[in-house]
Amino acid sequence: MTRQKRSHHKLKRAVAPYLYLSPSLLIVGLLMLLPMVTVIAYSFQNSAVLRRDPSFAGLKHYQAIFDDPVFWASLWHTLYFTCMSVVFHMTIGMIFALMLNSDRINPTLRNVLRVLYILPWLFTAVIIAVIWRLLLEPNGVVNSILMQMGIIGSKIEWFSSPETALHAVTFANIWAGYPLFMVSLLAGLQGIPKDFYEAADIDGARAYQKLIFITIPQLMPIIISISLLDFIWTMQVFPLIWITTGGGPIYATEVLSTYTYKLAFSSYNLSQASASAVVILLISLGLTLFYIRYQRAR
Amino acid sequence: MAEVILENICKTYGNNFNAIDHLNLSVEDGEFLILVGPSGCGKSTALRMIAGLEDITSGSLRIGGIDVVDMPPKDRDIAMVFQSYALYPHMTVFENIGFSMRLAGKPKAERKKRVDEIAKTLQLTSLLDSKPANLSGGQRQRVAMGRAMVREPAAFLMDEPLSNLDAKLRVQMRAEITSLQKQLGVTTIYVTHDQTEAMTMGDRVAVLKGGVLQQVDTPKRLYESPVNAFVAGFIGSPSMNLFEATLTGDDLISGTFAVRLQDEAFIRRPGLRSYAGRKVVFGIRPEHLYDSSLESGRKYQTIPAKVTSIEELGSEHIVHLNIDAVRVDSGDPDAVEDFGRASNAVAKFEPVSTVRSGSEIQLGLDDVKLHFFDPETHLAI
Repeated sequence: MTRQKRSHHKLKRAVAPYLYLSPSLLIVGLLMLLPMVTVIAYSFQNSAVLRRDPSFAGLKHYQAIFDDPVFWASLWHTLYFTCMSVVFHMTIGMIFALMLNSDRINPTLRNVLRVLYILPWLFTAVIIAVIWRLLLEPNGVVNSILMQMGIIGSKIEWFSSPETALHAVTFANIWAGYPLFMVSLLAGLQGIPKDFYEAADIDGARAYQKLIFITIPQLMPIIISISLLDFIWTMQVFPLIWITTGGGPIYATEVLSTYTYKLAFSSYNLSQASASAVVILLISLGLTLFYIRYQRAR
Repeated sequence: MAEVILENICKTYGNNFNAIDHLNLSVEDGEFLILVGPSGCGKSTALRMIAGLEDITSGSLRIGGIDVVDMPPKDRDIAMVFQSYALYPHMTVFENIGFSMRLAGKPKAERKKRVDEIAKTLQLTSLLDSKPANLSGGQRQRVAMGRAMVREPAAFLMDEPLSNLDAKLRVQMRAEITSLQKQLGVTTIYVTHDQTEAMTMGDRVAVLKGGVLQQVDTPKRLYESPVNAFVAGFIGSPSMNLFEATLTGDDLISGTFAVRLQDEAFIRRPGLRSYAGRKVVFGIRPEHLYDSSLESGRKYQTIPAKVTSIEELGSEHIVHLNIDAVRVDSGDPDAVEDFGRASNAVAKFEPVSTVRSGSEIQLGLDDVKLHFFDPETHLAI
C-alpha cells in the first residue's frame, strides 16, 4: 500500500464514526440544543418573540421571577411534589416488588397481582388525571368510602381546597408512577442469588436483617439510578397538574412547569417564562450531572 | 464438634420424585465424610437437608445428639460453604467473615479479635479491607472457609466448594482444606462429584446414586472392594472396564479370548462357583492392564486388543482399546460414552510403552485384580 493510500484509509477510519453519528447529532442539535440556546437567549431579552428587535435586558427577568413570591411557592411545591413522589414511588414499589418476589404467595395470585399492580403504568397522564378527578370529586367514590368508614365527617373538596390540593395531586402522581420502581426492583430482586439468603439463614439472619444487609445493598445501584431519574422526570411533570388543578386553587399546586407555562401563554411574558425555564433547566442539569457521575463511578 | 446421624431420611418433592430414599448415615465426631455421586444423585439435597435449607419429608436427623429436623438452619450449629461461596459483594472480607457475629450482636472488639484470628489462620490478614470482587478464586474460597470457621460450629457442610477453581488451584485447595479440617477437628460433610476429591480428602466416602446410598467406606476399601458395578465404575479414574463373559470351568470366556482364573479368585469369592456355565460381569481397572511387550507386563495372561487412540500424559499413557467383549454400563449417568464405539476399554500404560494408535497388541491382564458382578443385579460376587 502506498503512503498516500494508507493516509486516505486512516482518514476514512477516523471520519467514519462521526458520519454514523451525524443523523442523530443533527436531530439532537435541531430539536434540543437550538431551542435550549434560543430560550436562554430569550431570558436575557426584553419582549422576546413579541418584538422584532428585542433589547438586551441583562438579569432583569431573573430578578423579576426571584422577586415573585409565586415563583418561590412554585419551587417549594415542586420540591414537595417531587420528593414525596420519589420517596413513595420507592417505598410502594419496593413493598410490591418484595410481595411479587415472595415464595409465600400463591403463584397464580402473584401473576394476578403483577397485572393489577402494573396497571397505572399503562395509563397516560390525561387518563390518570381524569380518573383521579372523578374519584376525588366531592361526590366521588373516595369521599363516599371515607365517610362510610367514619374517617371524615363531611365531603372534602380534594382538588379545590388549598389545604388538600397539593397532597391530592402528589397522591395521584405517586399512584401513577410506582410501577416503574416495582418492575425495576423486581428485576433486581430476581437477580440476587438465592445463596446469599441461604448463607444468611445459616448465619442466623432474621427477615428484616436480610432486607437491610442483603436485599437493599444489592438493589442500591437500581435504587439510586431510578430515584435520580424519577427526580428529574417528576420535577418536570406538567399534564397531570395542569388537567387536575391547573396550578390552583390560589397557586396551591403551582409548580415550576405550570408557573412557566402561565407566564408564557397566559401573560405572554415570554422573557420571564424563559428565565423561569432556564431555572428548571439548571436544576435538572444539576441532577443529571449527579446521575452521570454516579453512573460513571459504577 | 458433634456427630451427625441420619436415620431413614427421605425427601419427596411435590411431583412424587424421590430425591433421597431412606438415607442412613452416621458421621462420627471430627470425621471428614465425603458425599459423592453423579449429577442428580441427591448429594447436594442431602447436604441441604442437614443444613436445614430443604425440608426433610421423613426420617430423623441428629446433630450432637439433638434432633434438628424441625429446627431452622441458624439453630442447628452448623456452618456451610457454598459452591458459589455466597460472599456478599458489598461487604469487605472482614465484614463477610464477621457477619454472623454482627447478626448475633457481638461487640465490635470481640468481632475484630475473632476475625483477625481466622484471617491469620487463613492468610487473609492483608485482604481484610478488600471486597470479594478484588479477590482471586482461591482467596474467595478461603474467605468462605473463614465465614464458616468464625462461628465455631459443631459441623461444617461444604457443597462442591472447589468446583469453581481451575485444576491447579483445586489441587492446592484440596490439601489446604484437608489440613485445616484435621487442625480444627470439626465434623465435616463435603459434597463433590469429583471422585479424585472424594478419594483424597475424606476419612470415609459415601457414594450415592438416584437418592440411594450405595456404599460408605474408606477410600481404599471403596477402590478395592466396591459393592456393585456402579461404585466400581464411579470410583477410579479412568473408570473400571466392565465386560460381560461366561464362566466355563476356571475360564472366563468372552468372544475369541479366555482368561484362566486362579484358585485364589474362587477362594476369595465363594459365590463365584455358582455362576459356572452362566454369564457374569467382570471388571478390571485400567491400571491393572499392561503392555505385554514391556518387562512389567510379561508375567500376566494376555488377550488380543486393538489400540484406537493414545493420550500421552507424560507420567503415563492412557490407551483406548478395543477388545472382543461386550462392554457393560456401570449406570453412571455422567460417564462419557465413546461415540462410534471405536474403543470399549481403557488402559494405563507406563510412559516407556511404544504402542501406537491402530496397532494390534497383546494386552497383559492381572487376573488377581479382577472384580465380578452379577449380570442382573450388578452386585459384587
